[in-house]
Amino acid sequence: MPDAHFYSYDDFDRRLVAERVEQFRDQVRRRLAGELTEDQFKPLRLTNGLYLQLHAYMLRIAIPYGTLSSRQLRKLAEISRKYDRGYGHFTTRQNLQLHWIKLEQAPDAIAALAEVDMHSIQTSGNCVRNTTADHFAGAAADEIEDPRVWCEIVRQWSTLHPEFSFLPRKFKIAITGSPNDRAAVRVHDIGLRLWRNDRGEVGFEVIVGGGLGRTPMIGKTLREFLPKDEMLAYLEAALRVYNRYGRRDNLFKARIKILVHEIGVEKMREEVEAEYESMKDSALKLSPDTIEAIAQHFAPPPLRPKRTLVPEVEALKLEDRNFALWLKSNVAPHRVAGHAIVTASLKPAGAPPGDASAAQMEGVADIADAYSYSEIRVSHEQNLVLPHVAVEDLPAVYRALDKLGFAEANIGKITDIIACPGLDYCALANARSIPVAQRISNHFAALARQHDIGDLKIKISGCINACGHHHVGHIGILGVDKNGVELYQISLGGDVDFGHTALGTILGPAVPAEKVVEAVDALVTTYLEARAEGERFVDTYRRIGAQPFKDRVYATV
Amino acid sequence: MPLFREGAATPIANDGPAPVPLADWLQDRHGAAVALANTDDVNCLQPHLADLSLIVLHFPKFSDGRAYSQARILRERMGYGGEMRATGGVLQDQLPFLLRCGFDSFESDQKGFGEALMRARTLFSVVYQPTEDGRPTASQLRLVSRRIMATAAE
Amino acid sequence: MAKNLSGDLQVASANRLADGMVVFLDAAGQWTERLDRADIARNKQVADILLERARAESFTVVDPFLVAVIEDEEGRIEPLSLREKIRASGLTFAAIAAEAVRYA
Ligand code: HEM
Ligand code: SF4
Repeated sequence: MPDAHFYSYDDFDRRLVAERVEQFRDQVRRRLAGELTEDQFKPLRLTNGLYLQLHAYMLRIAIPYGTLSSRQLRKLAEISRKYDRGYGHFTTRQNLQLHWIKLEQAPDAIAALAEVDMHSIQTSGNCVRNTTADHFAGAAADEIEDPRVWCEIVRQWSTLHPEFSFLPRKFKIAITGSPNDRAAVRVHDIGLRLWRNDRGEVGFEVIVGGGLGRTPMIGKTLREFLPKDEMLAYLEAALRVYNRYGRRDNLFKARIKILVHEIGVEKMREEVEAEYESMKDSALKLSPDTIEAIAQHFAPPPLRPKRTLVPEVEALKLEDRNFALWLKSNVAPHRVAGHAIVTASLKPAGAPPGDASAAQMEGVADIADAYSYSEIRVSHEQNLVLPHVAVEDLPAVYRALDKLGFAEANIGKITDIIACPGLDYCALANARSIPVAQRISNHFAALARQHDIGDLKIKISGCINACGHHHVGHIGILGVDKNGVELYQISLGGDVDFGHTALGTILGPAVPAEKVVEAVDALVTTYLEARAEGERFVDTYRRIGAQPFKDRVYATV
Repeated sequence: MPLFREGAATPIANDGPAPVPLADWLQDRHGAAVALANTDDVNCLQPHLADLSLIVLHFPKFSDGRAYSQARILRERMGYGGEMRATGGVLQDQLPFLLRCGFDSFESDQKGFGEALMRARTLFSVVYQPTEDGRPTASQLRLVSRRIMATAAE
Repeated sequence: MAKNLSGDLQVASANRLADGMVVFLDAAGQWTERLDRADIARNKQVADILLERARAESFTVVDPFLVAVIEDEEGRIEPLSLREKIRASGLTFAAIAAEAVRYA
């Protein structure tokens, strides 16, 4: 067995990815030789994750269920040095984007990924995309079952699926194994939530038709309880219904959420169940052996319970205020006593959210080797996670992360901003996202103040496509373009925590770029003045409504 | 449009009886060749499959994948065993998918299509999805090797 | 002072097929990375011809299109829209360097 505690490729997976690289190499050759037109080639490069952006090609690399080994992260650093400009952007969908790739070198870059059992297959295009999971999977104290086993089963089933490679539109699946959803399952095309029923059986709630973009919708329950071994048959049935009936006449109405909205979830259920009837006993039914063959890869690392109260940690807490804050915001409970889950913040003050240099990636890989069983996670909040750290190692991990600039004690705070690439990179953008995030981040850099403000999620998108999740930000910021001027529309009250999935409401007229910081400051001040004991920003907003926020913001800007 | 069938890199004669659009065919069921739009419901062919030797499925654009589902329903659920032809936007890079869904003849005017067809089944030696082509999937093969290893260990 | 704010000056741009870099069509029909070498169309009619020329030369580039520019007294040109300014001159913030371990 390899030393990883998650799925590693066997010969079958390796061969498939190698063959795919060769197929793509041939397609690139044919394009460069003029045998393929751009119209013919574009879908081919897209299904290999290669976009053409403002300045160059962009390669989107899948990080299945957000789990990486240190070896893989080092390879990503090496690829970014060799084929790009030495840095990468971690995204909200557990992908890494390299923004300066050359088409001529893309096949080599993808071949290098294959050396560490990674690929960029189906990270774009109208097919099943990278399946995302809770970034604390396999470590979280509240977990029922590790969702990554099921993500891997979906990964294999969806890879080069012959029937579903030309769907009406992209298809995103997320799976969570915890009651506290950290995978945003209600805003995916299909979300799967593992839960335990009255009889003690674990199965999936199947949620369909969620999504952000220009028509944000919260997913609806398609099936209350699906036995786990029927997952693939059910997905195949749902995808077939979507492939046949999803709209193809209008790009903006092609997602499954529109189909569900138009025919209603009852009719959708009827169609899927009818299709499923003929499939559930097919070869798609997962035998216990098949599941076990995948599940064994996810055997947790051999953590033994350790002491939770460590004198050195307690001492440093008193000595170093930032460390004390860091423990509060960046360290989460682990299921094994004496251990913790550490989030490395890719949001130091003033930094482009989610970006990491090659050297920083290597630094995190080193820390993971020393303290976290060589494992790293990518969160949908664009941070990196060290999932298995002993409490007694926390001071050392803190210092090592601090050397990289990744020990900012701001997880879940106002500067832990999600931002899409925006107009600096993206061909579809209306306005810039990253510089706005940087200004907000600098303005609120003081850690004590951030901790006083408490949990507050700001999410920024550069256009209506909503890659920065602005609809579900406590404060959402959307870039719009008015006659060539960048303006930003602010919305309040969005959320993604399970049971609380909510879409934000637009506050009022969009504000100019140079006023965004003042507007956010006005929102924060309103909250600080009005908050009741223990209330987060979004709680206060829900209690007092938009008006006080609105009054303050538009008196200021 | 040139017609291809597996086993030959050059087009074959396209001189069979012209396929009849589904609605017309259902009227008098004349001839053994029917052409479907990708919005047609294939289930209505269930009682007549024995009468058919050619079903033509249509790709209005190569990026419109509805006919893949029609093909699998015809082959896998309904057990259709005759010729199944892809027409419309049919490009060589779709071939691995088309073959796995049960298509066995192809109309395409893309240069190099015939040569690509000769290679299409060898592009990928591994498949993950069970389909009508009957190829063992990676997970089925894994179970076989696990069983062999378990037996050897005993 | 900038003139022609209405944007009737146009240049032809595209991304180079092989590496994706932003390029402009020069007077000799070559694609160049330098905006200052771009051939400028000064009215609509010439712009249409420029776009046609660009399309005719599009074997090595992807999807040529016209970019509205303005010209200052010294004859320096600059795209009118923020999007095209960014395409022509790069990111508006400092990207992190490969060997950097902290943001500046
Ligand atoms: C820079 C190149 C990118 C392009 C061209 C792009 C394109 C798009 C488009 C067109 C949509 C709307 C799809 C629809 O509503 O049907 C979308 C949605 C989305 N993208 Fe991106 N995107 C890019 C980068 C990113 C990045 C960097 C992230 C992660 C930070 C991301 C994550 C998402 C998410 C989460 C959604 C909304 C969820 C949904 O699909 O409903 N994208 N993207
Ligand atoms: S939200 Fe818009 S601007 Fe931002 S990455 Fe997505 S498509 Fe580009």
